[in-house]
Amino acid sequence: MRILRIGPLGITTHRRTFAVGLVMLAALAALVIFALVQGQSGITVLDSLKAAVGIPVGAPADFIVGQVRAPRALTAVLVGAMLGVAGAVLQSLTRNPLASPDFIGISMGAGTGAVLTIWLVGATSLWVTAAGAVVGALTTAALILALSWRRGIVPLRLILAGIGMGFVAQAVTQYALTRMDVHDAGNALGWLVGSVTGRTWTHVSVAAAVLAILLPVVLWHARSLRTMEMGDDAARALGIPVGSSRAVLAVCSVLLAAGAVAVTGPIGFIALVAPALALRATRSAGVTLLPSALMGALLLLAADQLSQLMPATLQFPVGVFTAVVGAPYLLWLVWRASRGGPS
Amino acid sequence: MTRLQTREAVIGYGGAPIVRGVDVDIPDGRITAIVGPNGCGKSTLLRALVRLLSPSSGTVLLDGEDIHRVPTREVARRVGLLPQSPIAPAGITVKELVARGRTPHQKVLRPWSAQDETAVMSALHSTALTDIQDVVVDELSGGQRQRAWIAMTLAQDTPLMILDEPTTYLDIAHQYDVMDLLHRLNTRQERTIVMVVHDLHQAARYAHHVIAMRDGVVAAAGAPGDVLTEELIRDVFSLEARVLTDPVTGTPLVVPAHGPGGAR
Repeated sequence: MRILRIGPLGITTHRRTFAVGLVMLAALAALVIFALVQGQSGITVLDSLKAAVGIPVGAPADFIVGQVRAPRALTAVLVGAMLGVAGAVLQSLTRNPLASPDFIGISMGAGTGAVLTIWLVGATSLWVTAAGAVVGALTTAALILALSWRRGIVPLRLILAGIGMGFVAQAVTQYALTRMDVHDAGNALGWLVGSVTGRTWTHVSVAAAVLAILLPVVLWHARSLRTMEMGDDAARALGIPVGSSRAVLAVCSVLLAAGAVAVTGPIGFIALVAPALALRATRSAGVTLLPSALMGALLLLAADQLSQLMPATLQFPVGVFTAVVGAPYLLWLVWRASRGGPS
Repeated sequence: MTRLQTREAVIGYGGAPIVRGVDVDIPDGRITAIVGPNGCGKSTLLRALVRLLSPSSGTVLLDGEDIHRVPTREVARRVGLLPQSPIAPAGITVKELVARGRTPHQKVLRPWSAQDETAVMSALHSTALTDIQDVVVDELSGGQRQRAWIAMTLAQDTPLMILDEPTTYLDIAHQYDVMDLLHRLNTRQERTIVMVVHDLHQAARYAHHVIAMRDGVVAAAGAPGDVLTEELIRDVFSLEARVLTDPVTGTPLVVPAHGPGGAR
């Protein structure tokens, strides 16, 4: 174990984790720049970068880069990070690599909350829809917990109850869609696919606000999270207040997933895959939160850019794209589990 | 002197109490073994001693204070626990695992200190794991793995160490390895050790103080020679036994009074 200490705050990290984190950060920066300059509009690279940070350079660049590409890329980065952290926390808490918010029905619940809000209140403001998604996600999470609780969280029951609740949530969503005003339903349907297309600075602010509030809370409890992976008894004996830490972390994970759904609609598989890839890249023992966030951001932005590079007929929303890439990973996980290997 | 004791403690998991009013005093600087048949409440008592369970009535006292009034982190600085089946995170190395024992001494945003490093290195040294500190725990043998967990509890640097069946799942050589290690920690570092063990021979050889439990109450407590008698074995374990003298240590050696198939 080679430990690196950074600065007066005393953040302790392993050298390899730190190095991998830097590489991911660099890759993310490069990918963001690529996202800003890529496209067929004849805007120079320099103008693109200037427009992205708000320096006026003239009509097409100010709009295309400043109002379209930049918020879209930033939304992808922030939502990817939210999903990465949400998945990492949930997988660590349940000690199960299958437990990600999109897989155990929480994202569906958030979607239901948002669609019901659009139906009952109208698609008035993103903040209202976001609030609806949060209520939907928390309700779903509470129901999943109530269904699976047996003197504590039983991971397998939780996952099965979650899958079941996901179907219930989808049924409610479908029902709401059939009862809605056609125009609203069209909006809701488009949003339910999961996409970063057409996201504005408002979306970026919602995502940034959710992340800015919740990420520090999660990081504050990182040590508790890591220690709880050793079992409740061991964690308690090491002085971790297991009950309260777990409650805070679970709520944060659900809220992060809900915030992500509110901004982009449900985008599958990022929360499932990013923490596992981050673990593999850092070879860390136990959950790694910041690498999971970076990995989620990288994956979502990369997926969106790849989908944009496709020929026009194949330019699916990013949610479809991540499902195409993520589904094989899920099958691989199941295949490994069925062979009794370490998960 | 005793830093850890219970007074009329009734402990359970919500239903009928499993431990029904026990007064236990853990002698300081000694090895205490808790023995008894399956389901007698010995693990339940152990969990209450480290505050994993709270008595429904009566108290557990740590340094004379109700243990539930002592902050969680403070308890973890005074009493260390090796649970029965802890989970090693996948891919963790021996040293990383041992370093987790420093958790109660650390704070958010406080870096790894020289004191932490010293405690970890000394724990690795005491358990003879220094040479394999960078090996991944999953790759260790059962005996080495148990030593690594004991080292983690050691790094916690608590005057009291509590171990729940530390030798279960180990072969006989490794069982005595662990017992010798606990004996060394007790004599050289003056740690108070409390352990639940199934093997009466190990309890007799290594413990200074034996607490025998039956049906949630203490049937007898005292020196092994006073507690491990033929009457008590019959009474507590419902087993007719002969108590001989261990030819090596002179401590009690309990053997069943019947041969295979019940023959006398």
